[in-house]
Amino acid sequence: MRRSTFFRFAGPSIFIMTLLMLIPLIMAIYLGMNYVTYNNVTQPQWVGLRNYIEVLQDNRFWQSFLFTGGYMLFVVPATMIVGFGVALLLDQVSTFTRGIYLSLFLLPFVIVPIVGTLMFKQLFEPSGLLTYLYQTILGTKFRYTEVSVKVLILLYGLWYVAPFALVTYFAGLQTLSKDQLEAASIDGASVWQKIRHIVIPHLRSLTILILLISTMDAYRVFDSVFVLTEMNPIYKADTVMTYTFQTAVTVLRLGKANAMAILTIVGIMIVLIPNLIQSYRQQVEER
Amino acid sequence: MEKVKSPTGRVLIHVALILFSVYSMTPFFWTLLQSFKNLKDANSRVPKFIFTPTWANYEELWLRSLPENGATIAFFLMAALVILVCLLLFAKYIPVRNGVIYGFVIVGFVVLLWAIPRVLDMAKFYDYFINTLIVTVGTVTVSITIGCLAGYGLARYAGMAAVVVLVAALGFRALPRLAFVLPYYWIGAALNLLDTHLLVILTLVAVNQPFTIWMLRSFFMEIPGELEEAAMVDGCNRLTAFIRVIMPIMWPGVISTALFSLLLAYNEFLLVRLLTQTNWTLPVAISRYTGGEDPRHLTLAAASAVSATIPIMLVILFFQKNLVKGLTAGAVKG
Repeated sequence: MRRSTFFRFAGPSIFIMTLLMLIPLIMAIYLGMNYVTYNNVTQPQWVGLRNYIEVLQDNRFWQSFLFTGGYMLFVVPATMIVGFGVALLLDQVSTFTRGIYLSLFLLPFVIVPIVGTLMFKQLFEPSGLLTYLYQTILGTKFRYTEVSVKVLILLYGLWYVAPFALVTYFAGLQTLSKDQLEAASIDGASVWQKIRHIVIPHLRSLTILILLISTMDAYRVFDSVFVLTEMNPIYKADTVMTYTFQTAVTVLRLGKANAMAILTIVGIMIVLIPNLIQSYRQQVEER
Repeated sequence: MEKVKSPTGRVLIHVALILFSVYSMTPFFWTLLQSFKNLKDANSRVPKFIFTPTWANYEELWLRSLPENGATIAFFLMAALVILVCLLLFAKYIPVRNGVIYGFVIVGFVVLLWAIPRVLDMAKFYDYFINTLIVTVGTVTVSITIGCLAGYGLARYAGMAAVVVLVAALGFRALPRLAFVLPYYWIGAALNLLDTHLLVILTLVAVNQPFTIWMLRSFFMEIPGELEEAAMVDGCNRLTAFIRVIMPIMWPGVISTALFSLLLAYNEFLLVRLLTQTNWTLPVAISRYTGGEDPRHLTLAAASAVSATIPIMLVILFFQKNLVKGLTAGAVKG
């Protein structure tokens, strides 16, 4: 294919990405240097780097940054362990039952996040099923406190993200070489040895993929926190995204919110740049 | 892995899988139960599993007033719906060209959706449902059309420009939505497009585009290049070869990608919340029922959550295979 033909095919897509992703990104950097509220959206007032400095000195921003980090550190490994374990079990059953289980497992993944969190919350309302179980088993009342809300956010994260790791690992297990496993069995390897020395190395590249995607998704967690905390600051459970959202919508400081969004991008770049370089090399090699 | 042979082992595996299914489904089932309770049953401190079910929550959500001849109207609407779904399911066995039938069914659905608010006094929730349909269908159509063209170009062109576009798209995919949404608000305000479907669709297409082109490209790479070369020898040009030869065998990949595009558009909350004031989609409308002082919100939230989930569950039941294939083949998720 010639270069001009390529641009004719990819043109519309490149055009819309430039217009609605690249330019807005540059605009966000610029708007971050202005004092903007909803009243003067079209006539921003230049303040230089003041917004950026204000964000960096904002305690609540760092607090939300830490909570986002904690969320990532729990949800990402937990979903991978649960996903891997269940995928191993699912691999054991017959093809027909697999299909049924898989449709049930996929529900948390396809459900609208806002709606899924709402359903999750219904279980923990004063009249909820799990509130009742909690009370009968532990003997104390379930209350929405800083700790319990944070735990709910983590549990929801696990419920919502695990199916993705599960399906990806499950597909990976289907490509395992039978010969290698048989050879290991003949040599007298135990199940754990086979998992440790054959299955896990085989799934290495998939593990990296899941790690990357779920880290990026965990970093921008918003919907579940929005519903579970109802944006109430007493739970101290803001994530970077919900705090930015509040700055934009409740405090009406659009400029500061933009500066905050740009600084969070700088944060994600630390994880992203090595990955981008690697995929760039890979693409060049393929050609 | 080799299968576990011992009977106890097999039973334990199924027990574990069933427990995990229960864990996955519990929030949905509990909400489903709550949505059919009246307020007294729903607020009972001891969970009630046996109660007289009521449609009242769904009625309050969807209808503004209940017509006298409601049963007759509902009967005719249901009959029309059943006919359309049957046509869709059994199109293969009807001796008319399938394209004609599908076209007829689509027109039928549009007419049905148009007719419902004219015979019944529908509440705001119906408008939000229609908004969601417009935004979802619009986003999927536009992003798949331009995505297919770009994905094909990226799969076949070997130059550096393709590498740059792909890596840039990967970078965009990782960025938090919020960074784009605020400038979108600015653009919308400047062009006087705030609160329109057009702005929401265009922005959703843009934020989904990186993921769409990566996934479609990986599907196009599976198709051998000799195919369109042969067609071009036979007198097609690039574009006609693409439309007549490549696209007909690309449908499974297109459906997989379209499913993810559909989920992303249907699920979007943040962007729609900030760019619209009245033309909300379902996620934004439903978020109003979270918290709040009104005690009726408990059961209404349950009913709205179930209402928004049923369409997605139907889509997944029909296309589960494509969804799993998309998850594993492209191995990219929005």
